[in-house]
Amino acid sequence: MIMRNIIHFFREAFSSLRRNKLLTLATITTVSICIMILGAAVLITMNASQFMDKLESDVEIVAYIDKTVTGSEIADIKEEIQKIDGVRDIKFVSCEAALKDLQKGLGKDKYNLEETLEKNPLPDSYQVSTTNPHDVPDIAVKVEEIKGISKVNYGQGFVERLFEVTKWVRIASIIIIALLSFGAIFLIATTIRLAIFARRKEIYLMKLIGATDWFVRWPFFIEGVILGSIGSLIAIAFIAGGYQSLINNISSLFFLPLVTGQEALLPIYITLLVVGAVLGVLGTLISLNRFLDV
Amino acid sequence: MLVQFYNVSKIYPNDLKALDDVSLKIDRGEFLFLMGASGAGKSTLIKMLIKEEKPTRGQIFIASRSIVRMKRSEIPGLRRSMGVVFQDFKLLENKTVSENIAFAMVVVGANSREIKTRVPEVIKMVGLKGKEKSLPGELSGGEQQRVGIARAIVNQPLLLIADEPTGNLDIDTSNEIMELLYNINRKGTTVIMATHARELVKTANKRIIMLEKGRIIADDSTGELIL
Repeated sequence: MIMRNIIHFFREAFSSLRRNKLLTLATITTVSICIMILGAAVLITMNASQFMDKLESDVEIVAYIDKTVTGSEIADIKEEIQKIDGVRDIKFVSCEAALKDLQKGLGKDKYNLEETLEKNPLPDSYQVSTTNPHDVPDIAVKVEEIKGISKVNYGQGFVERLFEVTKWVRIASIIIIALLSFGAIFLIATTIRLAIFARRKEIYLMKLIGATDWFVRWPFFIEGVILGSIGSLIAIAFIAGGYQSLINNISSLFFLPLVTGQEALLPIYITLLVVGAVLGVLGTLISLNRFLDV
Repeated sequence: MLVQFYNVSKIYPNDLKALDDVSLKIDRGEFLFLMGASGAGKSTLIKMLIKEEKPTRGQIFIASRSIVRMKRSEIPGLRRSMGVVFQDFKLLENKTVSENIAFAMVVVGANSREIKTRVPEVIKMVGLKGKEKSLPGELSGGEQQRVGIARAIVNQPLLLIADEPTGNLDIDTSNEIMELLYNINRKGTTVIMATHARELVKTANKRIIMLEKGRIIADDSTGELIL
């Protein structure tokens, strides 16, 4: 019984696709365009998100050690810092190394800092990175409380603003993708409604003869999956091709590094395929329910 | 008792009273004409029977089950016990005669062996042998209605409902269709037929229910009083 029905459902779905060629084509095109826009939005969002992550992960705490603190106490401070929750890594930067860094930053030819200053004015410091960049302000407060730390620096003010910006960029991306998905569902549902409208007599008859709602739905359901999948496969081919040529021509857009790894892109393409199929099905079921009310 | 209506009224949102306090009983095996002018309530009564619409008031029982309180999931079961014949045939244009009839069996989940034996039987019964592979567009009106009747009886319903089945046919063809319906009735199927063709009903000597403005104005077991 079930097997026989499955064969019937598939046969009905395919014969309907063949019979309504124009509407089949229209639906595939609609799905394709929706998925293309959606896919482009996802790729842009992903690149933006990678950029945000990179900006955030660059945030770290520099804890300056008081000049009066000596060797063994410096090690004690490291232990204290390590005890704080959320600390990922601690790097010691000696005052000599700090001076060298500064010299490097200024350029050797213009100034010779060692000669000019005679005595190194810079303190030893610890560079503290955190597991979650958002904990930096809190952890910085705790580090500053440790005895022997004279000052803590993490770009106060700037970091809070950066986090505010990244937060809104992320929220905006989610909203845009959600809106695009809704738009896609309605567009696809409208196209499919046309296809179903052409078959309303058949649906009415089936219902009057005593078909269950699901018996009527299944062929349309299969059609939705097929149309959604074909549409999104076409879209994915375009997106993947376009994005690959973008990567080949410019590996970084201005100062943004692009997301390039197949291990990052493949899941997106697969998700888009699933989304296309789901949109096809949702569009079908939304449109169909009205006609089932017999 | 197969069908019972108790004080059934149907009032549409625009305050149109399509059925007004209708009570009636139909026995198993009866052949019943529903008569009345257009808008008298024949179609509404039929829509109540097949649960296409719900009454505003009253109760309807079919085979002793209330269909007014029936859950949505129980409706397919109810409809499988009925066959419906339409004035405009409602055949699927892209399916052959055989396929149109088999369609009704597929829909209710019959297996292909059942379909292969039952469909030719019904085709023979309605007199369409040799037309199995024809499309509806290639048939005359009378032949198309035979397909419609074959589709309605293929699942061996308790009750056959025909809504103006001869409305689109000439008098000779109509008589042939009537013969077919009497035949089906003789084999035990209860038949309810809505019509306004007096000439068909006159000679039938069957029960007639006369509707006017949604009310039953006459119910006569032989039709003699009315016509």
